[in-house]
This record gives sequence, structure tokens and C-alpha cells, in this order.
Amino acid sequence: MNELVEAAAPPGANGGVPSDQGTHATLTAMDYGDPRESGDDIVLAAVDLRKRYGDVQALDGFCLTVAAGEVVGLVGHNGAGKTTFLEMVASLIRPDSGRITIDGADPMQSRGLVGICPQHIALYPSATVREHLQLFGGVNGLRRRALRREIDELAVGLRLTEIMARRVGVLSGGQQRRTQAAVALIHRPRLMLLDEPTAGADPETRQAVLDVVKGRAAEGGSVIYTTHYLPELTELQATIAVARRGRVIARGTGAKLLEQLPGQVRVRFGNDEVRMSAMDTTGALVTLLSSATAAVTEIEIRKPSLDDLYRSLAVSDDR
Amino acid sequence: MIGDALYATAVQIRHNVLLRLRDPAQIISYIFLPMALMLVFEPLYQRALDGGTLQTVTGPLILFSVFALGVVGNSVLTEREWRTWDRLRASRAPRTSLLIGKAVPVFTVLLVQQTALLVFGCAVIGLPVPRDLLHVALAVLLWGFAVLAAGTALATVVRSRGDLMLATDLGAILIGSLGGALVPVDLMPGWLQHAAPASPGYWGLALMQNAVQGDLRGMLVPALVVAGIGLALAGLATYRLSRGWGRSDLL
Repeated sequence: MNELVEAAAPPGANGGVPSDQGTHATLTAMDYGDPRESGDDIVLAAVDLRKRYGDVQALDGFCLTVAAGEVVGLVGHNGAGKTTFLEMVASLIRPDSGRITIDGADPMQSRGLVGICPQHIALYPSATVREHLQLFGGVNGLRRRALRREIDELAVGLRLTEIMARRVGVLSGGQQRRTQAAVALIHRPRLMLLDEPTAGADPETRQAVLDVVKGRAAEGGSVIYTTHYLPELTELQATIAVARRGRVIARGTGAKLLEQLPGQVRVRFGNDEVRMSAMDTTGALVTLLSSATAAVTEIEIRKPSLDDLYRSLAVSDDR
Repeated sequence: MIGDALYATAVQIRHNVLLRLRDPAQIISYIFLPMALMLVFEPLYQRALDGGTLQTVTGPLILFSVFALGVVGNSVLTEREWRTWDRLRASRAPRTSLLIGKAVPVFTVLLVQQTALLVFGCAVIGLPVPRDLLHVALAVLLWGFAVLAAGTALATVVRSRGDLMLATDLGAILIGSLGGALVPVDLMPGWLQHAAPASPGYWGLALMQNAVQGDLRGMLVPALVVAGIGLALAGLATYRLSRGWGRSDLL
């Protein structure tokens, strides 16, 4: 697994995907590394999901599989369909068509296997942190000693120990974010759906959440992690799925995806600078330098980043 | 499996009791205001009506139990505002557990309100202690159920807390006054007397008054109407709550 995959329907999938899918990205002809092909333990399989809200086609042939222990970074512009997809997996909304299975079962039958951390704070202001964990642990079947153990572990991991008895309404934004994540993880779900869990969070909160998510993935938990802060995905060693207009347009490891992208050469002449793709021929660079009328003061060669990747895919999809 | 569902329900009930206890102002006012109103109205009704004590106690009881739609509605609306209902829906708890866990504490609040007003009526206003407490209990349960269902259904369709306040305040005055909670139906203008049965308050008042008087036969039709209203609204509320709000325009 973890090889680069152009988004496509799984072989033999009902409905398949539209014929134009897979033509959007600049990154094409990628070798299949879909977890489904490598015999890995598939936790989530979503096939050709479609959902329309009035005039808006929120999902338009969305396909994604997630293997056990895999962290998938689901990235895309606002409105790309990420949140709709997560809500569908959490059985909060139903697709107009398409199919989702979690451990081979319908999402409604698999609700205990899923933990969702919504994008917006969804907590009771008048309840304490501990009461939140007791409530959501309890409704997910945790009792007494097991519940206490999970609460204690998450309190340490997410640095909540000092604020367990405080009401959520008086907590700082970062503390609420950590509580929000704890609620999603309290019952040790097999599939964690984390929708921008660190949005607006301070570095301490960000690191605490990332550490706990990494730990859960190392134990075999699967994660779908949406974010606009792409370095988080590098830290999580996530494979990446890029969503665009309600579908996944590219899928693979960050490293493999970046291999396909050129870096950038920046040449500075006094107050002027010229940027060119690192994929350009060496001759072009030599020509540039030899024809320069001012002294070269700086040459920088920059490797492509995940931000570049995302921009590349998004731009190519706009064409 | 049943054990898990019961446990999830108990966890929900405990949590909602906590939330209610931390925000008690509204229901406290809906218990003490009608008591004050009973004291003020008592001399007036005694002079104007035969059986004025019964009207003195049951009128404000019905009126302010309709105001308590706001208590029920708020308990549901806050789940929408705080986006917590979807988190609960995503849990493994059966949705019936969630609904029961949400309803039981609020239903208890409604029963406590009505019981407190009846006890106050007997102890302070001079209402004779009902001959058959079971009849009264049945009436309180049925009317409480209808109010619970109406408040929950209301909270699933309003767009804001302001809408809810408008609906409950206006609804309470209209339903209560048209139903005879303020002025007995017999004393209303003729055309209003004809319109009175259109108000659920009319049937609630009839149910409560017949129950207090121990008239089981007189309770039958009002009980059926109140139960029917409650069941219809409970169906709407359950449908809406089970599906969630998705991305509707509501809120």
C-alpha cells in the first residue's frame, strides 16, 4: 500500500466512476498501490458516492478506501465535499447513491466503530470535560473501569488533566479543541474521522492532537484527517487523498505524489529575480545566467512541498 | 444488546438531568408565576363562578404548562445550536435510547410542574383533594406527554431561539385563553365558544377538571383527543430528530 494511486473505481465496483474521473490531475499514469489491491485489511470502502443539496452537487462520484492503521489526509478546498463525506461515513447523512462499508457493514450498523470530531466545536458549554467523556464513552458502551481507564489516558495524552472538572463554556479555544478530539476518541474507535481537528489551535494543542492520533494509528486505528495545514500530514505520515468538486482526484503517499512535481529554481540579480521550474533543461538555466546583465547574487533551489502539490492538482482541475 | 441500550439511555438521562439542574430558572418561574396568579385570581373566580376554585387552579396550570413548551423546546434547540445532537447520533447508542434519554428528564420537569401546582391548589387555594388520585395522575401524564411532544416537534421546525420564544409565548396565550384557561368558555362570546374546541388547551383543561372531580366518563373524550394530539406531534418530532437536520435552512 501507500503507493501513488490515481483516483478510480475499485475493480468490479458497482457503478464504477464517471469516465472523466482521473483526467483532472497533472499526475497521471500512476502505479496502483490501492490498499484493496495489496490484500490489506480494509476498514472503509466508499464507492461512487453522490449527494446533492439543492443546486449544489456536494459529492459527485467520491471514492476512497482506507486500510487498517492507515492515516489518510483528505485535503481540498472548502466545498470540495470533505465534510459531507465524513458525515456520510458517520451515518449522519445518507448518500443519494453509492455505497459505503465499514468493516464490510453498512455505516448505520457500524456506528460504534467510528469516532467523529466535527469541524465546529460541538460540546455542551455547561458540562465539564469529564462529564463529556463520561457521556460519550457511556453512549458508546464503555462502562466503569474501562471508561475510567480511557478517560485517564486521554486526559494525559491531550493534556486535559488540569481542566477535567471545568465547564467547557469557560475553556480556551485550544482546550475546547482538545476536549472535542477527546470526545471523538474516547471509545477507541476503529475509524477516526477528524475534520480539521486543529483549526485555529495553538501549537501545544496541535502537537497533543497529532501525538494522540499517531498513537492510535500505531495501534491499528484508521484515520481520515482533513486539514488545510499540510505539514500536519507529513508528521502523521499520512497517505493523501485530494478532493475536488465532490470527488477524489489524486491519491497516494506524499513522497510519491511529490516525485511527480518539479521543484523551483530562483535566481536573483540585484533587485530582480527570475523563477523557473526545476524540470526545465539545464540549458535554459545556463542561457539565463549567460545572458544576465547584472551580477547573480543568489540562487535557490526549492523542493516541491505538499502545498505545491495541492495547488498543482487544484489548478489542473480548473482547466 | 438490550442491556447496552438501557445503559446508553441511563447515561443520557443522567446527562440531561445535569443540564436541566444547571439551568433551572425557566421552570422555576413557570412554577411560581402560576402560583402567584392563582392567589390573585382566587377571589375573582370565587365570586364570578360556581366551582371557582377548580377554575382558579386548573386554568393557570394549563396556561403555564403550555408556556413550558419553551422548556422542552429549549432542551432540544440547544442540542441543535451546540451541534451535539449529531455527535450523539453518530454514537453506537440506538436512536430510541437517545430520544428516551432526552425526553425523560424534560417529561419529569413537566410532571413536577403540574403536580406542584395541584398540590399548591389543594394546600393554599382550597381545592378539595381529588377523590381518585389515579385519575389525576392519568390526566397529568397525558397532558404532560402532549406538551412534551408539542415542544419537541416545535424545536425541530423553528429557525431560531427567537422563533421558539414567539411560538411558545403566542401559543400559550392563544391556546390557553381560547381553551378557557383564563376565562371559562361559558363566559366567552358565542363565536369564541364555538372555536374553543379547536384549541388543545380546551381539551387539556377539560381533562384536568374532570380528573380532579373524579369524572372518569367525562375524561374519556378529552383524554383521547389529548393523546391523539400527543401521538401525532411525537411522530413528527421523532422523525425529525432521528434524521437530524443535515444542512437544512433550519439554524
